[in-house]
Amino acid sequence: MGKKLIGCPVCIEHKKYSRNALLFNLGLVCDARTNTCSLEPIVKKLSGYLTTLELESGFISKEESKQKLLPIMSTLLEDLNATGACTLPIDESNTIHLKLIQLRKDPPIVQEYDVPVFTQCKDHFIKSQWDLTTQQILPYIDGFRHIQKISAEADVELNLVRIAVQNLLYYGVVTLVSIFQYSNVYCTTPKVQSLIDDKSIQEECLNYVTKQGQKRASLRDVFQLYCGLSPGTTVRDLCSRYSQQLQRVDERRLIQFGLMKCLIRRLQKYPVKVIRDERSRPPRLYTGCHSYDEICCKTGITYQELDERLENDPNIVVCWK
Amino acid sequence: MMLNPSDGLPDDRKSLYPQSQSSAYKCGDKTSPISVILVSSGSRGNKLLFRYPYQKVAECPSSLSAKQRNPYVLNTSGDELDDQDGDSRFSDIVLSTILATKSDMCGKKFELKIDNVRFVGHPTLLQHPPIIQVSKTDPSPKREMPTMILFNVVFALRANADPSVISCMHNLSRRIAIALQHEERRCQYLTREAKLMLAVQEEITTTETDGSPQSPFRQILPKCKLARDLKEAYDSLCTTGVVRLHINDWLEVSFCLPHKIHRIGDTYIPPEALERSLKAIRPYHALLLLENEKTLLSQLPLDCSPALIRLIKTCSAVKNLQQLAQDADLALLQIFQIAAHLVYWGKAIIIYPLCENNVYMLSPHANICLYSPLAEQFARQFPGHDLPSMLAKFSLPVSLAEFRNPLEAPTQEFAALLVNQAQLIQMVVWMLQRRLLIQLHTYVCLLVPPSEDEPGLRDEDPPLAARVGGRSLSTPSALSFGSPTSSDDMTLTSPSMENSSAELLTGGDSPLNKRMTETLLASLSEHERQFILNIPAAQNPEDLRMFARLLHYFRGHHHLEEIMYNENMRRSQLKTLFDKFRSVLVVTNHEDPIISIFQSPMD
Repeated sequence: MGKKLIGCPVCIEHKKYSRNALLFNLGLVCDARTNTCSLEPIVKKLSGYLTTLELESGFISKEESKQKLLPIMSTLLEDLNATGACTLPIDESNTIHLKLIQLRKDPPIVQEYDVPVFTQCKDHFIKSQWDLTTQQILPYIDGFRHIQKISAEADVELNLVRIAVQNLLYYGVVTLVSIFQYSNVYCTTPKVQSLIDDKSIQEECLNYVTKQGQKRASLRDVFQLYCGLSPGTTVRDLCSRYSQQLQRVDERRLIQFGLMKCLIRRLQKYPVKVIRDERSRPPRLYTGCHSYDEICCKTGITYQELDERLENDPNIVVCWK
Repeated sequence: MMLNPSDGLPDDRKSLYPQSQSSAYKCGDKTSPISVILVSSGSRGNKLLFRYPYQKVAECPSSLSAKQRNPYVLNTSGDELDDQDGDSRFSDIVLSTILATKSDMCGKKFELKIDNVRFVGHPTLLQHPPIIQVSKTDPSPKREMPTMILFNVVFALRANADPSVISCMHNLSRRIAIALQHEERRCQYLTREAKLMLAVQEEITTTETDGSPQSPFRQILPKCKLARDLKEAYDSLCTTGVVRLHINDWLEVSFCLPHKIHRIGDTYIPPEALERSLKAIRPYHALLLLENEKTLLSQLPLDCSPALIRLIKTCSAVKNLQQLAQDADLALLQIFQIAAHLVYWGKAIIIYPLCENNVYMLSPHANICLYSPLAEQFARQFPGHDLPSMLAKFSLPVSLAEFRNPLEAPTQEFAALLVNQAQLIQMVVWMLQRRLLIQLHTYVCLLVPPSEDEPGLRDEDPPLAARVGGRSLSTPSALSFGSPTSSDDMTLTSPSMENSSAELLTGGDSPLNKRMTETLLASLSEHERQFILNIPAAQNPEDLRMFARLLHYFRGHHHLEEIMYNENMRRSQLKTLFDKFRSVLVVTNHEDPIISIFQSPMD
């Protein structure tokens, strides 16, 4: 048949009905291959409404009101297909509102060293539609402040900030990148070629990374900059090596765009304590599970300090990945 | 143990969303079935023959009243671990009614979703009546006609399972159904088993003397081979994802769930991505077995193809597929198909063959934790070395050659490394098998600097990648699963003959060569051509000719080794060329997207 049927059968038992029970089912017919998860709550809600209407005023069992079902159903079909929402007036006092809610994937846990950055222009936001916590932290989301910093500056408790940002992540309003430092190391991913193949990404990129008030940067310069990022090269090195290309390009936004579109990825450092004598405690943070970013956030020491400590320790190896 | 940043606060404060803690099937794993059910429909109505896991025995009313019920106590005994998604709400009668379909639904995919449970199966019609041989000398009356008309092997899944998981389960249901249908025709196997199952069920319901109802299915298991097979299928699906049954100890049904087999950490590689990858492999790739050769051979059935055995015996991490074809004396296309088969079953992965110049780096998904099981295994396999130290050496991309020659080593550490070459290869193979390393390749892209005077016009020109159509450099004939082989594509002789533009005669600045070069450069815009011709290196006709010949590779999609293979060139030649034309070429290193799926799952 190639079709899928979604329904929610209802059975109301009562002596007044001809067989002591009324059974009805309002269903939707869809193409078998489509994903219909978001239609199920609508079917359920409708069946609940119809049950209530029947119990209150015998909507379905009475012939006159039953005729109203036909225009209701056609409105339902047309509006849901057109806009994804519909309003069904039943009678003077009852109206049913239905809306298709898109189900999204669960977002990951937000860590305190993650940096949220808006995927669209910040001005498109209607602040009043969001909760108080989100409204309070919004001004601090600039694509460079990490969660811990936002929490400190906005004076909002850390876990609340994490949950609020996770909520924004769910709706695709922000995406997460890593903290920017000139000592960071990045490398290209195979997706970097999309900068050449895909015209829309190209346009978006060149508009995003060009320095304010300058002529638009050339594709070649930007592509060379991205390709100049490799393991062992810090952003500082990139700046000194490619100073000519960086005349019209803001390197911070370059990195930000690259991370957002997965053209580049960050190489994090993970210290592992491999040799230790029997008497010392087992390593807590230097197990290979915690990156420098995480350790610095949790212990409050700076990158350089951590580097100095670990570089001189012969028992610790550092892995980059 | 990870430091908890907000010590003292409950864990759920960090996230609004439930995070999957473990992939144990008890906790709602989306790729495992909830249960397996066998129903039949016949002249005696719809029957539920078997289901596993069986429902927990309901508390008998007498014991309930005996307890002192404190009205303030929450009734937690009724909630099972996974009752929200379980199918224990559905009684046997209900299941038999909804799952035993009418005959017109037979032979097609059956899918029914009720709230949180999705049932998927393949109802199969039994041909009836089968011919019953009545012996002429046998005076007994004719045997009873079997009463079963159709049957359905149904898997109950969680409603939010992936569509690919659903179609895989349907596939398994169909395979079991085919085997059962065959055995039924041959010796009425299914009818016999069904009779046994129903007999046990009736026996149990009529002998409930002590008031504690037993699950009849528990009693069926020791008596019925089919029930045991279904139980085994369910258990395998929940654990390894590999099912091997012998229906009636005769027909083999084998199946694998790619979602369980191809797991890296918590995520799985979706089968479509796997298929796409397998279609794009090239003769210069290699097959790396994930298991020991002996173990793998012992897992094969007795009647497996000898070509498969030959391939397993001859394959090696340093041999590419073309060499493998020659050594195993098989056609290249056959090698591709067998390789794809082994990869699908999780017994092998595709890599680039090991050689000195390969550059490896730590995979971003590698588990480098000090206490991981991998670290233990490594220490056992290679005593005296520990995994984190070894992995640290691959933090920067390093080629295998650098390990050998301490003078070329980037840091002091390498010079102090006492690893001989053979052991190094073993270690690298070990790490590749466990998805700890990725290989980096060099990709090159042609980007001519824009002209200063006409910036507007410059931006209009799409880059070379978009313009040059490029020859199709795909594998010979479509490598789709189950496609018929064509004898024309059986062998790939010398690749350089087919794909390169070797028609350009070497040596001499003949007019023919000049015209060839011009034609090849014709796809460039005027500005680009001028710029290239003005490069000092372009004055050398040999170099210019080579550049023009390789132009279609400079789109950022073909790595150095591929160009070497297709054009039969040496690495040093290519590197020199890239260097000479570096003012118009941009070079970068990253993993090969075709096979990177084996080291890191898709986002």
